[in-house]
Amino acid sequence: MSEQFKPNIVAFLCNWCTYAGADLAGTSRIQYPANVKIIRVMCSGRVNPLYVVNALQQGADGVLISGCHPGDCHYMEGNYYARRRLKLLKELLEFTGVDPRRFNMSWVSASEGHKWKEVVEKAVEDAIAAGPFDQFRRRQIGW
Amino acid sequence: MSAMLLNKEKWSEFIGKLSGKNLWAPAVQGEVKKYAPVAEGETVELDEGNTTVPPKALLFPQTETLYRFSTGKEELEFPGLDEEMVLLGVRPCDARAMALVENLFRWDFDDPYYLKRRELTTLIGLACNEPELNCFCPSMGGSPDSTEGLDILMTDLGESYLLETVTEKGKAIVEEMKDLLEEAPADALEQKEQLAKGAREKIRRGVDPDGVPEALPQLWEDPLWQRISAPCLGCGICTYLCPTCYCFDIQDEIEGSAGRRCRMWDSCMFAEYTKHTSGHNPRPTRRERTRNRINHKYSYFVDKFGVIACVGCGRCSTLCPVNIDLIDILRQVKAAQ
Amino acid sequence: MDLDKLRKTAAEVVSRDDVKYLIGWRRGTFGYRVAPHFIEDAAGVDELIFSPLCIANLANYLTLTEKLPVPRGQEADTRKVALLVKGCDSRAVAQLIVEKGIKREDVVVIGMPCPGMIDWKLLAERYPETDVAAEIGWKGEDFLLVRGEEEITIPRAEVLAEKCRLCRHPNPVLSDITIGEAVEPWAVAEDSGVAEIEAKETAERWDYWEEQFSKCIRCYSCRNACPLCYCEDCILDRLDPIWVNRAVNFSENTAFHLARAFHLAGRCVECGECERVCPVGIPLGKLNRKLARTVREEYGFEPGLDPEAEPFQASFKPDDPEEFIL
Repeated sequence: MSEQFKPNIVAFLCNWCTYAGADLAGTSRIQYPANVKIIRVMCSGRVNPLYVVNALQQGADGVLISGCHPGDCHYMEGNYYARRRLKLLKELLEFTGVDPRRFNMSWVSASEGHKWKEVVEKAVEDAIAAGPFDQFRRRQIGW
Repeated sequence: MSAMLLNKEKWSEFIGKLSGKNLWAPAVQGEVKKYAPVAEGETVELDEGNTTVPPKALLFPQTETLYRFSTGKEELEFPGLDEEMVLLGVRPCDARAMALVENLFRWDFDDPYYLKRRELTTLIGLACNEPELNCFCPSMGGSPDSTEGLDILMTDLGESYLLETVTEKGKAIVEEMKDLLEEAPADALEQKEQLAKGAREKIRRGVDPDGVPEALPQLWEDPLWQRISAPCLGCGICTYLCPTCYCFDIQDEIEGSAGRRCRMWDSCMFAEYTKHTSGHNPRPTRRERTRNRINHKYSYFVDKFGVIACVGCGRCSTLCPVNIDLIDILRQVKAAQ
Repeated sequence: MDLDKLRKTAAEVVSRDDVKYLIGWRRGTFGYRVAPHFIEDAAGVDELIFSPLCIANLANYLTLTEKLPVPRGQEADTRKVALLVKGCDSRAVAQLIVEKGIKREDVVVIGMPCPGMIDWKLLAERYPETDVAAEIGWKGEDFLLVRGEEEITIPRAEVLAEKCRLCRHPNPVLSDITIGEAVEPWAVAEDSGVAEIEAKETAERWDYWEEQFSKCIRCYSCRNACPLCYCEDCILDRLDPIWVNRAVNFSENTAFHLARAFHLAGRCVECGECERVCPVGIPLGKLNRKLARTVREEYGFEPGLDPEAEPFQASFKPDDPEEFIL
């Protein structure tokens, strides 16, 4: 029986809410899959959609972006812009034929350690279902 | 130059024999006509017209790895470059271009990548019986049946192809194929001459470049450059699809502790082509860049290598989205003298 | 549309003291080509035309034309630029004003209501180009090709440009002067021409786009032809940090097209230039039109209609869709 595929998920978490929420999950010893590699950004609104494309190019099987709930953004509006932008990115990726399960976005606040666990589990489950990403992976081209 | 005849009934056998040698031929892929590899068992149909991407892309690939490196290794890893290749259906203009461009790749430095590939490649050309609308090779010193740069020149005579051997490499191929070929009778050669003459007569557009290389230096500040370049988009179509263009950029790509240095096509029409690290750009607008491109092809290259760096294939004029027409430019240059 | 009136108006505009030059179209040097025509004085208007081949979006030149630093002692030339626009082109002008890429008072807009343009490649399939620049006009809903003595009527559906088939705004949305009668907007496919791809499964969609992106030679013609791609320091040209490698391979080509489509989301006015100029025929318009449709249907916004609107990606509503968020 072959080993189950272990996906690589890159997560962009906003410093004030989701990152703190993930921290809380950690200190509360909540168990969740270890496939997520976290990149802390100050705000979900700071996430350039090109990061998502770039992550997929460099070996991510899934990308997760998470920020504060609407109305709670530390910078007042960042997450609203992120919401618009990432909705468009999701539509674009789906239209081009990238499995929509590879891209997830969530609102996780600093006190939602349990929600973080659920979000990660969903992201990992989705990435496993979608399989290893190979569509436009960067490969050093042959001689 | 010996001449043999290949009856088209033997065409698939001919292709079959060639396809074992890493054969590439024009094919339409996704509505674009370009050179594609011919797998064993596949057929090739050579029709009229030229490819969008010239065969230079096979000898001088759009992106090629110069060498690889990694922190673990002391030595650089160079590419093998030992695969022979046969290009079939190369038009005389594109072959002339390859001969021309070799001047550059042998100029102050023997470019090992290009020259090795060229050495390992056999070019089987196809004379043009039906030139395209923007073909003007006779104006630039070529012709629809020129053999310059080719190893073999084929001409479609209807029921058979005439094969004229030009070089030793060509001779070797013809030797291998001798079971499929027969001596070309005199009337086949006569037919070929007639076709070539007919092709030349069908060429409707052209301009005599006489005097252009001498005139250009005097026209440096002429307002014609502003006029010509005003609609230019500054894209790379004319340069990338020109068989005599050869500019490239070199970039490193790193992944973790390993990487490669590669070179890729660049275009003098891009704004950042001459941008300095200081931010200064000696060719700041499309006017300067257009002026440079025309001067390079019709003046500087002539000074250095004695030949105009243009073979009259017409791709730039056909594919420019805003109708910047080379023949029109040359006429304007002559009128501005 | 009265050609004499157009030329007369153009002559008047270009002779004004406050107008630097006028951009229009002129017949090309062969076949079905039409070239952008830059007119600095009244003599140049004789070559102005407006035909079904005038598909090029001249609004592109508002930002493409470089502005060099002014030498010491000289004053900047603050005169206006006049240009001819069709419906789609005028939307580009409006969107540029929204983004402050240009100022309304710096342009004189001459609006040309547009009955629809020809995709010259479709026309050339039926009637190959010749070395003589062709004469084509409108004939009712169809087109009329004149070749010497012969007059050939070509049915609209056979040669109409894809972007025109889907056009929702054939009449200019803003103009200082209008030449010609307003055109009745025609019924357009609600799916923006992307239903075929949407009907495919994910894997099939990818197969389609994989084939298309493989063709790309990264000439950047699509980006340069787009009136709304005008960043002086384009992210796709950046070398440090390098967002998209200069190497031309499938991965980078895909990233390039996704990045560009994304940057135009909510800004693209569907003028179709990107698709038209691509030398290898990648149907880029589909990417942009898909996003334009999402913006229209789910956010109720269409860029380039109101010069006072807020830029789409630089604004938000508290009740923006978020059904996709966990």
